[in-house]
Amino acid sequence: MSLQILLTVAFGGALVTYLLGKTSAKVRNFLAVAISLVLVVFVAYLYGKPLEKTFYLGFFGLGLVLRLNMFSWFFAITIAVVGTLSIIFSLSYIRAREKTDFYFLMMLLVNAAMLGIVLAGDLVSFYIFWEIMSWSAFLLISYNRGPALAAGMKYIIMSVIGSLCFLVGMLSLYVSFDTLNISQIASAITSASSGYILFILTSFGIAFGIKNAVLPFHTWLPDAHSEAPAPFSAVLSGVLIKMGTYGFLLILYVIVGLKLFLGLGSSIFSFHSVLCLLGAITILIPTFIAMLQTDAKRLLAWSTVGQAGYIILGIAFGTNLALAGGIFHFFNHSLFKALLFLAVGAVEFRTQTRDLDSLGGLAKKMPVVFIATLVGICALIGVPLTSGFVSKWLIYKSLILEGSPFLAFFALVGTWGTILYSYKLIHNVFLGQLPEKYKDIQKSPFSMQLPMIVLSLAILVFGILPGIPLKVINAIGISFGFESLNVTLWGIASETGTLNTINIFSTVLVAAVLLWLLFRLGAKSVSIPQEDSYAAGAHTPADKYHYTVEFYNPLHRMIKPFLRDVIDEFYYWIAASVRSLASSVKRIYSGDVGYYVMYIVLFLSLLIFAQMKWKLW
Amino acid sequence: MVNPVLLIAVPLGLAFAIPLFNLFWKATAKYIPLVALAFNLVVSLLLLTQVFENPVIVSIGGWRPPFGINLVAGPVGVLFSAIIALVGLLVSVYALDYIKEGPTEKYHMLYLLLLTGATGVVLTGDIFNLFVFFEILCISSYALVAYLRDKAGIESAVKYLIQGAVGSSLLLIGIGLLYGLFGTLNMADIAQNIKSISPISVFVPMVLIITGLGVEAAIFPLNAWLPDAHSSAPSSISAILSGIAIEVGLYAVARVIFTIFGASSIFLFLALLGILTLLVGEMCAFSQNNIKRMLAYSSIGQIGLILFALAIATSYGVTGGLFQLVSHTLSKALLFLAVGYMIHQTGSLQISALEGMGKKMPLTCLAFTIGAFSLVGLPPFIGFPSKFLVVRAALATKETYFCVLIGLALLGTVIEGAYFFRVVQVLYFYPVRYEKSSNGVKGEKPNPRRKEAPIIALISMFIFVALIVIIGIYPKLVTDVLSSAASELLNRLDYVRNVLG
Repeated sequence: MSLQILLTVAFGGALVTYLLGKTSAKVRNFLAVAISLVLVVFVAYLYGKPLEKTFYLGFFGLGLVLRLNMFSWFFAITIAVVGTLSIIFSLSYIRAREKTDFYFLMMLLVNAAMLGIVLAGDLVSFYIFWEIMSWSAFLLISYNRGPALAAGMKYIIMSVIGSLCFLVGMLSLYVSFDTLNISQIASAITSASSGYILFILTSFGIAFGIKNAVLPFHTWLPDAHSEAPAPFSAVLSGVLIKMGTYGFLLILYVIVGLKLFLGLGSSIFSFHSVLCLLGAITILIPTFIAMLQTDAKRLLAWSTVGQAGYIILGIAFGTNLALAGGIFHFFNHSLFKALLFLAVGAVEFRTQTRDLDSLGGLAKKMPVVFIATLVGICALIGVPLTSGFVSKWLIYKSLILEGSPFLAFFALVGTWGTILYSYKLIHNVFLGQLPEKYKDIQKSPFSMQLPMIVLSLAILVFGILPGIPLKVINAIGISFGFESLNVTLWGIASETGTLNTINIFSTVLVAAVLLWLLFRLGAKSVSIPQEDSYAAGAHTPADKYHYTVEFYNPLHRMIKPFLRDVIDEFYYWIAASVRSLASSVKRIYSGDVGYYVMYIVLFLSLLIFAQMKWKLW
Repeated sequence: MVNPVLLIAVPLGLAFAIPLFNLFWKATAKYIPLVALAFNLVVSLLLLTQVFENPVIVSIGGWRPPFGINLVAGPVGVLFSAIIALVGLLVSVYALDYIKEGPTEKYHMLYLLLLTGATGVVLTGDIFNLFVFFEILCISSYALVAYLRDKAGIESAVKYLIQGAVGSSLLLIGIGLLYGLFGTLNMADIAQNIKSISPISVFVPMVLIITGLGVEAAIFPLNAWLPDAHSSAPSSISAILSGIAIEVGLYAVARVIFTIFGASSIFLFLALLGILTLLVGEMCAFSQNNIKRMLAYSSIGQIGLILFALAIATSYGVTGGLFQLVSHTLSKALLFLAVGYMIHQTGSLQISALEGMGKKMPLTCLAFTIGAFSLVGLPPFIGFPSKFLVVRAALATKETYFCVLIGLALLGTVIEGAYFFRVVQVLYFYPVRYEKSSNGVKGEKPNPRRKEAPIIALISMFIFVALIVIIGIYPKLVTDVLSSAASELLNRLDYVRNVLG
C-alpha cells in the first residue's frame, strides 16, 4: 500500500506542480519543495520495513512488483535527499530563466522515476521507470540551449542504445524463464549455462555501464553534466549515474548471485576481473583528464567518471569489505559531488562564468560556498574525518588484503590525480587574487546556501560517525550473501586493522584546540587586505598575478598526448559513417518514376527467377 | 446482431450522397463523413464483442460461398474496421477546420470512398472483391494526394498513379492466374484447394499478388511512391495514408500469404525484406530536412518492422505485428495532424522553420512529442508494449536468424530516436525563428500568424494522445482482441471451415 502511495505522490506531485505553476510561481515553488520533503520523510519512515506488492495491470499477464528492502531503501533515501536539496537550490538559481514550470516538472519527474527504479521488483517496471528517467533527463539536459543540445543528443542516443541492450537481455530472460519477477529469476538462473549467464551479464552490463559511465561508455558524461543547469548536474552526477550502480548490484548480486558471478570464466578473463579492470582504468584515465580541464563543471564531470570507477571497482571486487567500500563510496560521492556541483553553480550564478582561467579569489566574497567546496574537496580526496576517507579506506584495504597490487596501485594513483584536480578547482575559484570584474558580487542567497550547508554537515557527521550508514550497508551486504562486517558506530573492526574514527576525531580535536591556544597566546597576527601583494617592489594588479592559467603546465605537457579521448572520436566516427551511409541510401529514391517502376518489375522478376533457378521456396 | 454489410454500405451510400447534399445545403458536406464514420465505429465495436469465437459470415445476395461474394467479419476484419472508423472519424473532425480551400465536397467524398474501400478490403472473403475495394482505396488516394493542386502534389500524385497502376495490373494478372488455376475466386475455397496444384504454378500468382499488394503496402523496393505522396498531400490525408492505407495494404499481403497460400516457406524472405525496409526507411528519414518527408520515410520504416513481426509467424509474432500496427496508426496519424497546423503557421516544410514552435503552439508540440516518443517505443506510451511484444516474439523463436534481424531492427530504432529527438529539440530548445519583415531586413517581430491550432483540431489530436497513453499503460485493453485476430490469421483451416461450413 505505502509504496503505491509513495510513487503516486511522486508522479502526481510532479504533474500537479506543473499545472499549478501556470497560475502562480510561489505556489509552484512551495509545492515542489513540499513534495520532495514529503518523499524524504516518507522514505525515512519506511526504514526497516520490508514491503512487497504485486500488481496485475494487464501488461501481458506479467505481475508488476514494487518492493522495498534495505538495498532499495538506501538508494531511495539518497535519491530523495539529493533531489530535495537540488530543488531547494533551484528556487533561486532558476528564477530568472524561462520555462521554469517545465524545469520543475522535469526535476520532479526524474526524481519520481528514479524512486520507481529502486522500488521495482520486476524487470518491466524497472525498464519503464528507467526509460522515463532517461527521456526526462534528456529534456532537462537540453534546457540550457546552445551547446547543451549536442550534449543532450549524445546522452539520449547512448542511453537509448543502453536501454535496447537492457530490453534484449530482459526479454531473453523472459523467454528462457517465463517470468520477469526478480526473485523468481534469481532462483531460476542458477540452472542456466555459464555462456548464457555471460550473455545476460554482458547485455545488462552494457546498459548499466553506459548509465554509470564506465570506460568505454563514458563519453556522454562530460558534455551532459557540464551543460546541464547546475542543480540538475548535481542530481545527474549524484544519483542518476548511480542508477547504473544500482543496476550493477542488482544484476550481479541479486539476480546472478555471488557464487555464480565469481565463478564465471577463468582467472584473468573472468567477467569479474574484466569488470574490476574496467573500473580501475576508469579511475585512472578520466582522473587525469579532469586535471586538464579549464571549465569547472567539466572538471567535476570528469571527476565523476573517475569516482564511478572506484564504485565499480569496489562492487565488482567480490569481498564484503570491498562491497561495503563501493556502496559507501556511492553514497559519499552522491553527497560530495552534489555539493561540489551546487557550489560551482552558486559561483556561476553570481559570476556568470564557469571558466577556471578567469575566476579567482572568491573566498572572502562567498565564504559559505568556499567552506562548502573545501569540505567537498576533502571528501573527494579522502581526508580523514570526512566520509570519503572511510569509503576509500575500505576499498584500499580490501584491494591490498586480497593481494591485488595492480588494482591497488591504480586506486592510489587515482587519488593522487584527485588531489591535483581538486586543488586546481579550489585554488582557481576561491584562492589567489580577485579579478576586477568580480569586486562587487554578492554572496549567494540563503536558499542556495542551505543545501550546501546540509551536505557539508552530512559529510562531516558521516565522516566522524561512519557507523550510521555502515550499519545499513552491512545489512545490504548480508542480504547479498556476504559475511557480516564488524561495524561499530566509529568504524569497522577487522582482523588486520581497525578503522576507528573516534580516535582520529579526538586526535584532531585535541590538536586543533592546542593550535588555537598557541595561536591565541602567541604574537598577534596582522590582517592585510586580499589585494595587497607586491612583487619586485611594485604593487601587483590582481588580474595580472593570478596564477590560474595553465595551472599544471609541465604535467599537462607530459601527459596530454596520452590522454586524447580516442573513444569519443571513435563514436563520432561511427555517427559520421552512419550519416554518410544514410545519405547514400537516400539516393535509391532518385525521383525518376521510371526507376521506380523498374524496381517493381525487377523485384518481381528476381523472385520468379530465383524460384525457377534455385527452387528456394 | 448487426449486419457487417452496413459497415461498407452506409459509408458507400453516404459518400455518393455528398454531391447531392452539396447541391442543396453547402455547409453539410463536411459533416457527412463524421456521421458515416461514427456509425461505422459504433457498429464495429458492437461486432467486436461478438466475433471472438466465430466470425460472422455474410453472403451477399444470398449466394452461398464459394459461388457468391461473402464478407468475413472475424476478429481481424472487425478490428481493422474499428481502427479505420476511429482514425477516420478523428481525422475528419480535424479536417472540419483544416480543409477550407479548394473543392471541399470532392475532398470529403473521396475521403469517405477511401475509407469505404479500406473497410471493404479488410472485410471481404473474395479475392476479386478485394481487388475492387483495393482499387477504390487506391484511386481515391491518388486523387486526394493531388488535392492541394500545387506542383509538388500533382507530380507526386501522377508518380503514385503510375506505380499504383503497375501494381494493380500485376495484382489483377495474379488474380486472373489464380482463377484460371482454381476456377473460383473465393479465398476460403482457394485455400482449401491450394495443395492440389504444383508449387511452381502457385508460386507465380503468389509473387504477382504480393508485388501488386506490396506497392500499396510500401514494402522495399516497391515503396518509392510513398515519400513523395505522403509529403505532398494535405496533412489530414497524409495521416490517413500513413495510418490506414499502407496498413490495409499490409493486411492484404498478410491475408493472402497466411490464409490463401499458407506459404510458410516465404516467411524467412519476408522477415529479411521487412528489416531491409526498416533500415532503408530509417536511414532515409535520418537524412531529411523536410518534416513531412521525414515522417513519410519513418512510415516506411515502421511498415518494415510490422512486416518483420508478421513474418515471424508465431502467435507472439503476429500479435506483436498487429499491436505494432495499431501503435503506428495512432502515433503516425497524430504526428501528421500536429505537423499539419505547424506547417500551416510557418508556411514552410523545413524542420528548421519549426524552431521554437514549442513556445507558440505548446499543445500541438506536446502532441507531436508524445507521438514521437511513442513511435520510438518509450514508456509509458503505446509504442513500448508493442515493441516489447515484437522483440519477445523474435527472441522466443530461439533462432539465430531472427535474433540477428531483431538486433538490426533495434539499430534502426536508435536511428529513429536520433531524428525524432532532434526535432523535439528544435521545437522546444531553439529560440523562436523570426521572419523577414517586408523590406527584406531580418525583423524584430515574430510572425503574428503563429498561434495555437484551433480547438477542434486540438480535440482530435488529444483524443489520439489519450488513446496512446491509456493503451500504453493498460495494454490489456487491446491484447485480447489482438491475440484472437492473430489466431484467425494463423489458423487457416479454421478460417476455411468457418466460411465453407
